[in-house]
Amino acid sequence: MDSRDSSSSSAPNRDGAAADDDGVLSVTAALAKDAALYFQSRKFAECVDVLNQLKPKKEDDPKVLHNIAIAEFFRDGCSDPKKLLEVLNNVKKRSEELAHASGEQVESGNNVGNKGSSGSKGSGTITQQFSGSNSASIIYTDEFDTSVAALNIAVIWFHLHEYAKALSVLEPLYQSIEPIDETTALHICLLLLDVVLACHDASKSADVLNYLEKAFGVGNVSQGDNGNMVAQQSTSLVGKSSSVPSSSLVSDTSSSDLAASVNASENPLSRTLSEDPLDEMFSTLDIGGQNLARSAGLTSANDLPRTTVDRSISGVDLKLKLQLYKVQFLLLTRNVKIAKREVKLAMNIARGRDSSMALLLKAQLEYARGNHRKAIKLLMASSNRADAAISSMFNNNLGCIYYQLGKYHTSAVFFSKALSSCSSLQKEKPLKLLTFSQDKSLVITYNCGLQYLACGKPILAARCFQKASLIFYKRPLLWLRLAECCLMAAEKGLVKGSCASSDRSEIRVNVIGKGRWRQLLIEEGISRNGLVDSSEKDDWALGIDGQPKLSLSLARQCLYDALHLLNCSEWSNSKSALPSNASLEENEDGASSKNSNHKNLSGIDSKASTMSVGLVNSNGDVKEPKGGTNQEIIQNSISYYEGICRRENQMIKQALLANLAYVELELENPLKALSAARSLLELPGCSRIYIFLGHVYVAEALCLLNKPKEAAEHLSFYLSEGNNVELPFGQEDCEQWRVEKPVDCEESTGAASAKNPSPEGLVDFMFLNPEEARGTLYANLAAVSAIQGELERAHHFLRQALSLVPNSSEATMTAIYVDLMLGKSQDALSKLKRCSHVRFLPSSLQLNKSS
Amino acid sequence: MGKKMLNFEEQCQIVNMLKSSSEQKSIEETVTEFFNNSKLRHFNVCYSLALLLQDKIMLSSTERLVACAILHRSYSSQKSAANPFISFLVNAACDDGAEKYERAFVLHLLSNSNKELLIFAGVYHFLKQSASDYINNFDPSSQTFPQQEQLQQQYFEKVHPEPYSCLLKNTAVKNVLADPDLPCGCDANSADLDLLQPGAKPKLGSGDRDEALSGLIANLSLEGLAPHWIRPVPPRFPVDEKELVWLNPDNNHELQWDQGMCADTSRGAAVRDLIAKALKGPLAPNQQEQVLVELANDPKLVYHCGLTPRKLPELVENNPLIAVEVLTKLINSPEISDYFTVLVNMDMSLHSMEVVNRLTTAVELPKEFVRMYITNCISSCENIKDKYMQNRLVRLVCVFLQSLIRNRIIDVKDLFIEVQAFCIEFSRIREAAGLFRLLKTLE
Repeated sequence: MDSRDSSSSSAPNRDGAAADDDGVLSVTAALAKDAALYFQSRKFAECVDVLNQLKPKKEDDPKVLHNIAIAEFFRDGCSDPKKLLEVLNNVKKRSEELAHASGEQVESGNNVGNKGSSGSKGSGTITQQFSGSNSASIIYTDEFDTSVAALNIAVIWFHLHEYAKALSVLEPLYQSIEPIDETTALHICLLLLDVVLACHDASKSADVLNYLEKAFGVGNVSQGDNGNMVAQQSTSLVGKSSSVPSSSLVSDTSSSDLAASVNASENPLSRTLSEDPLDEMFSTLDIGGQNLARSAGLTSANDLPRTTVDRSISGVDLKLKLQLYKVQFLLLTRNVKIAKREVKLAMNIARGRDSSMALLLKAQLEYARGNHRKAIKLLMASSNRADAAISSMFNNNLGCIYYQLGKYHTSAVFFSKALSSCSSLQKEKPLKLLTFSQDKSLVITYNCGLQYLACGKPILAARCFQKASLIFYKRPLLWLRLAECCLMAAEKGLVKGSCASSDRSEIRVNVIGKGRWRQLLIEEGISRNGLVDSSEKDDWALGIDGQPKLSLSLARQCLYDALHLLNCSEWSNSKSALPSNASLEENEDGASSKNSNHKNLSGIDSKASTMSVGLVNSNGDVKEPKGGTNQEIIQNSISYYEGICRRENQMIKQALLANLAYVELELENPLKALSAARSLLELPGCSRIYIFLGHVYVAEALCLLNKPKEAAEHLSFYLSEGNNVELPFGQEDCEQWRVEKPVDCEESTGAASAKNPSPEGLVDFMFLNPEEARGTLYANLAAVSAIQGELERAHHFLRQALSLVPNSSEATMTAIYVDLMLGKSQDALSKLKRCSHVRFLPSSLQLNKSS
Repeated sequence: MGKKMLNFEEQCQIVNMLKSSSEQKSIEETVTEFFNNSKLRHFNVCYSLALLLQDKIMLSSTERLVACAILHRSYSSQKSAANPFISFLVNAACDDGAEKYERAFVLHLLSNSNKELLIFAGVYHFLKQSASDYINNFDPSSQTFPQQEQLQQQYFEKVHPEPYSCLLKNTAVKNVLADPDLPCGCDANSADLDLLQPGAKPKLGSGDRDEALSGLIANLSLEGLAPHWIRPVPPRFPVDEKELVWLNPDNNHELQWDQGMCADTSRGAAVRDLIAKALKGPLAPNQQEQVLVELANDPKLVYHCGLTPRKLPELVENNPLIAVEVLTKLINSPEISDYFTVLVNMDMSLHSMEVVNRLTTAVELPKEFVRMYITNCISSCENIKDKYMQNRLVRLVCVFLQSLIRNRIIDVKDLFIEVQAFCIEFSRIREAAGLFRLLKTLE
């Protein structure tokens, strides 16, 4: 409503604008043009000046406010993106309100008849008639068009690494991209592509990529390569509103063609308007059909690809860009073989241009294929390392490679170099918006965390993961890693109240008295009691530095969070039937987002389908064969990638449940441990190692719940004839488990180079070997038997256990227990003395002296 | 590491109490004195004593009697079954390997349970003497030893439910092992009496019993030795090359200037006016051409020309060609399905059919839409009352269908039955017969 008021108050200006028809350039339009020119030549102070002159003339015009905000942001050195975000959001809201208000005035949400100009022309009938439309549409007329403001909002979110937020702005834009003008649409698509790639959303990436290729017809626009600059773009944009057909050859010819076809069909049409002869009517139908059939190719060809004149990027640049995006997509979906082909193509296109990105992608490709040496070479060749942003990337990537080579300490050096480059980037002046997105320190910090974990430094690692959680908080894997930090810390005795596992596995024996009075008092060194009390107490207590202290309860919390995230993603995947990286989806605002999400997906669906239609209908001869295979490749990549993700999630779930069962046992919650371990065993496709762990944990939990019989049943899963225990898993399970993904990747891509795990890498696998696992089963079977009073059976199992895991203090303790129960105290003594994990402590307290 | 069962004060108390047992103090006196200290945790103390009693040689005979008395006394205010050491005492009374006087002493203790009155009456005479006196005055023939079952019946009342903690712990055995440090061939028990004599010369393998005893008392823990479970730590989740984040340079996305600021808002005004006119009546040929040319020149103009789904029928009726053009251009619009819905639901007419026919050749229409449209056509023909109008519409529909079939827009199989029925119904009409023949050739 106030738009009306304000416009009436500034009536002369508006009239001036309306007077454009008379060829008189209004004052406002002139000022706007000046401002735009200043903006393009990056003279932001002058630009703001001009805009401020404009402002009183166009009171409350959202677009003026928008441009002022943008210009001021640049003038002030891009220092406060959050503030800009706020202004832009207000502008957008204001525009929508205005559009809505003016729509209401004409008794509908219609967005067409509400133009000031049409109103001023006195054709009120038109506005009246043009009522009735879907008010839900976000397409507004030029005057209230918010697409640029929305795009800018998304741009800022993107640079701030807030991909989910950027996505939430971009998706509605993309859904109704057709009415948006070319330049903005292209920017929207490119940004969306970057966002969905960053979100690891393969199918959306494919869809946008597809749309870009079709709509901005990269294949046939090489002639539009000439002037690409922003200046030209602006003039052409201004020119667009004038009715002079200034566009490309293509549209010229097509329009004349169309006119011809119109003429051709016009005669029969006009005849049909006359009264009778039916036969002619029929011929109309037929003739019209034929005519249109002929012109159909043209019209739709003209329709779908966007005219390419307005682009701010030249044809080849765009082509290269799209090619690089395609490679990124293929790398994301790990379609290494095709990626290799496409990267070559990209190198060809980039010939004579900037090929650094192509080289980097090639390095990434070799990294993904496990050709680490080659990746290093390519990295070395690629970049200009003087630039801080490039240098941080370069070092980070080298760090990744060395990590994969198992050289954790070297990788640590590179990661820390990368981080210091990042911090020097922050100090660089003048600030650019890009600077924010170039700060990848949180990502690098995550890599650091992994490296610390590999080096056995859980506290440092946890600190890294904690920082990285700012961006990765929706990733289940992050929380699993944090839980692993807690477990490792507990194992190393770094958690308050716990003792290191080395201490815990030690049997401490107090030697009391001398001579014939000598007594050996076996301490419950491996009892886990001390652990619970302390860690339970300072649950969420923060350390001095504000970091949560590592504890088993923290581990438990992390594991539950991770499971929740994983289940959410599975749930939403199964619901939408379209894979989407749900870890990046907003689950906070429940139903509403779900609805919009659904809508989005369907929107994208329809787009994809029309896409393929366009492919066939339009320039079929040029693109069809290649396009067809292209579609196939993309579809295959997506389904392949979905498979990978599914398997990965399965693996993560197994790990989560196994860890959870373990932690609950440690925290003496056998019931919860039992349910976690049971869920683990129920998982489809569970690996043999985790099945083994599941059985052992279930059995222990049952024992703790006074159900030794059931526990024994669980363990007897591995029991064959004659009370022998089979190997619970094989060596190949360990190997496969450790290097599973690279192996898969090689298979699928058919790359010949076999991945040979470096010897250092094998240290990574810190778990029981199959024989030890077997020994563990024997020992636990013995414990169960002993508890049930089946001492002889226990004795039998123990003999086996001690031959397989002679150094297990647990097995030794059980053996001593059984010996004592059987009255063989001499055997017990000798076992105690033989065990390598016993520490004899002289009794220190001399009570009778003090009393 | 393990929790000590006794604090320092309790340790001293026990040691002193045990020492004093050899003095000529009455057992009653010793026990009473011991329990006068209210800070003692009775269970811990008793449990320690019970553990010490399990070792046959660690405590002297007098000490054992006093210890038993304490075990009994500490829970004497309750029923005997409530005494956690009742089974221990019963076993001691029935232990054939134990000294007779000790068994008799325990039996005495047991038989005097719950008889507080007797204490006042002085019936507790056997406690009035010192432990050594009791031993010396003991007459083995005066005592009969009942069967264990009998005692159990007498003192356990009901089957005592196992207190719940957990099996791995409940089954614990004493965690103290005697490990006599003796030269080969020496019997650990042989020197027994010798060493009890104070002042004896220490021999090889001898030791100080008091030292061992106080050491034990100091280190006893509540937990016994139990079977141990091996709980493997789960392996760390493997790191694959994707988890480590590889970095690539960002594409720079710059903030965009809004070119729409103060721009000419009259874009397409002429077309809008013409479209508005086109809703009311047929446009002149030159006007028609102007609309088509302008729409072709500006691909976005179609979104701003003022057409909405609700207005589509008017446009179709008055200017079918423009309608076709507009719909063709809107084919990628998110609202196209709304337009289709309107189109399929509007009254059948030559013009609507013409629009659909042209659309089918210009763009790919959704199969569902075409099918529904045809069904509507057929039912319109059937429902029309005016014979002349019906004939006219039927002929029109037949030509329309033939066109669709010839252009392979529809697959006849999808609609075969419907269309065949339609032909048969109107077989009197020449075009219907023709359509029927066409269907037959396709069969």
